[in-house]
Amino acid sequence: MKKPTGKTPTRKLARKTAAAAPAPSASARVRVATMWLSGCSGCHMSFLDLDERLVELVKLVDILHSPIVDVKDIPEVDVGIVEGCVNNNEQEHELKKLRSRCKVLIALGDCAITGNIPALRNQFSLRDCLVRAYEQTESTRISCIPNDPIVPVLNPKARPLQEVVKVDLHIPGCPPDADVIWYALTELLAGRTPQWNEKNLRYD
Amino acid sequence: MSATKKISLHIDGRLCETVEGRTLLEVARANRIAIPTLCYLEGLTPWGGCRLCIVEIEGSPKIVPACTTPATAGIKVITQSPRLYNLRRATLEFLFSERNHICPMCQYNKGDCGLQHQGYVHGIDSIRYPYLYPSLPVDVSAKYFGLDHNRCILCTRCVRTCDEFEGAQTLNVGKRGIRNQVVVDMNQTFGESTSCTLCGACVSNCPTGALFDKAAAFRGPLASCQPVLTTCTECSVGCGLKVFTKENRIVNVWGDPSSPVNRGHLCVKGRYETWAVPRERILTPLVRKKGSLQKASWDEALSVIRKAAKAAKKTEQALLVLPRLTNETARTVVGLAEKVDRVGMHVATNEAALCAQPEFTADALTKLRDADAIIVIGARPSRDQGLLAARIRTAVRKNGAKLLIFHARKSNLDQFAHVCANVVSLEHRLWERVAATLEGVERPAVIYGPDAMSPIGVTVLERLIRILEANRNGEEPLLISLPAGSNSLALAGAGLEAVEEVGPWLGAKPLKFLHVVASDDPAGGAQVMDETGVPELLPGIDCVVVQAAYTSPLTEAAKVVLPTAIWCEKSGTVTNIEGRQLHLQPALPRHGEARDDAAILESVFA
Repeated sequence: MKKPTGKTPTRKLARKTAAAAPAPSASARVRVATMWLSGCSGCHMSFLDLDERLVELVKLVDILHSPIVDVKDIPEVDVGIVEGCVNNNEQEHELKKLRSRCKVLIALGDCAITGNIPALRNQFSLRDCLVRAYEQTESTRISCIPNDPIVPVLNPKARPLQEVVKVDLHIPGCPPDADVIWYALTELLAGRTPQWNEKNLRYD
Repeated sequence: MSATKKISLHIDGRLCETVEGRTLLEVARANRIAIPTLCYLEGLTPWGGCRLCIVEIEGSPKIVPACTTPATAGIKVITQSPRLYNLRRATLEFLFSERNHICPMCQYNKGDCGLQHQGYVHGIDSIRYPYLYPSLPVDVSAKYFGLDHNRCILCTRCVRTCDEFEGAQTLNVGKRGIRNQVVVDMNQTFGESTSCTLCGACVSNCPTGALFDKAAAFRGPLASCQPVLTTCTECSVGCGLKVFTKENRIVNVWGDPSSPVNRGHLCVKGRYETWAVPRERILTPLVRKKGSLQKASWDEALSVIRKAAKAAKKTEQALLVLPRLTNETARTVVGLAEKVDRVGMHVATNEAALCAQPEFTADALTKLRDADAIIVIGARPSRDQGLLAARIRTAVRKNGAKLLIFHARKSNLDQFAHVCANVVSLEHRLWERVAATLEGVERPAVIYGPDAMSPIGVTVLERLIRILEANRNGEEPLLISLPAGSNSLALAGAGLEAVEEVGPWLGAKPLKFLHVVASDDPAGGAQVMDETGVPELLPGIDCVVVQAAYTSPLTEAAKVVLPTAIWCEKSGTVTNIEGRQLHLQPALPRHGEARDDAAILESVFA
């Protein structure tokens, strides 16, 4: 099926990333932050599956913040890539912070887009989930639902990113194939909007 | 409405010719113009529920569903436009956000799911609407399949299938508004359902993973499997099967839509019982040593058999087969009559008379659909020939056909019958009712099974035919001979003697060598052991050879057991009640050391 031309929600995004992606000189590389919320890290693994393409990628981008970069605070970046859904107040805070500090926000993988597996708990009340996990587990000896103020508080529902902040691009998949991630990133770096169709879309 | 009036219309600028009464979707499909659908299924009443097949008609402000809009002359239809694309996308997004469609944990994810496919086609990368995450139950209480409401899109294909193909009307749509869901019987579970026949048609017609086969779950997507078309040998109807295999294993078995016999529909026997039930398969020849059956090589087993056969005179040898052999194997068996004194085929009680005059009715199953009165006598299609029972139910429920059942045992078809009587206790008053019911009937069909050949059954059958002849308004009554054995009519036609009572047959003359071909009988030929006198006779025979695929009391009583190929490993032909020669295609290589029926017989009696 031919995708009809017309206003697409990501048209502005192409312009934005084109502005953010100048000639790849050492001084002006695209600044990227990645973030791991409620997910299994599979999407980050798939990102690492870019293999030798990672070498090509680091010529074009600087990864300034990531689960594998030891930086506590999120710097100002051009592109934010988020894996996982929003499950607690800390994640919500971090996500909003990233959104305010990046030009383009990419939801990477099904958890970030639909809630996926972490959102399975949405079918039950939060109380039931906690009781099942901390009190009724077969291996539990002393039952106690964590209530230390330092522990992030679970939200009543796990929510996909776009229900919390504005998301500019979605890369579906559980996890998205490395080729799909590569396609999306290279298209963005080239100043184009990735086009999703039968061939490159996968929800599983 | 004249159904043959030719009209022409434009679809996407192409001139399409059709006849009046067709829907826009049918015309488009006939002209290879793709319109996305989810709730449409060929053969079912259009529902117009999914709203994916919406099209624009030039000059009309309204958007119409193609599956329910009749084609009219001169209109110009547009199937692809930005407006339609966006509307279809929005519809799909609503479907995705309504329930818990979690693709990664569904076994229908890689190419089997219609909803996922449409999502890909429409480039859906995210859903603009908030997810509802409803809490919905999963019903896995049915023996062979489960119903997961989380993945249901309420296309009602299962509901219509159950109603229009199987005629059971187990499934329905219950509750209101957003709580709308598919319900089983009176909002029960499949396990509690009394009307479900377990035919599994709802599962194969489900566009998503809402209905799933337990045995096929997580064995890989069907899209990645090798489909093989073959024929079911579980009864005499001979349904076409589509066997999905992967890595030399069966993943699923569906009906073959191209088969003129069943048109894609199956009963529980063909759909599940042949493969989804765990059975102990015999994989190597077994020889009795020191009282117990031990694994042996083919050479060893055959030498034991040949020695025993040599020790027995021709008159002391017998060969008994079950009526599930292919026509090709039957020729081999008949050829053995020179070497063996007695060659018999074990059939159900009273079936010998059916076999004596093998009668096939051409296109019986198609004609049955149009019958306005169906008489079932001496057969139990709901247990033995599920497809025929489905045809009877749909004829009664959809076409208002009258159903008269004369039987000796109850069946779950009885509830649909206008007259239902035990053949043994027929009263005069009942005959008046039968005559009244059959009055004005134009296209009667009489299905007679083996029990119609019992002395009382024959009287009833003759009287019924007299009534039908007396008030004949239209065609000759359609007579369908329905044997209990899968291929017994053709085998009898090939020259095999039908044996009803095995005990006396075996005991007629002293025996030293008996070869029983149980073939791939699911019960392993246990019915032979159930015959009076057989368990007592077998120990007195020097050498009992059983050729079977599954263990049973019969194989336990044998001296040598030879493993045979099963239905999905066989090739050849069988003849169904319509007289059609139906082909068997091996879907899998023969498992273990199993060999083909005919090949084994040839090496045993070489």
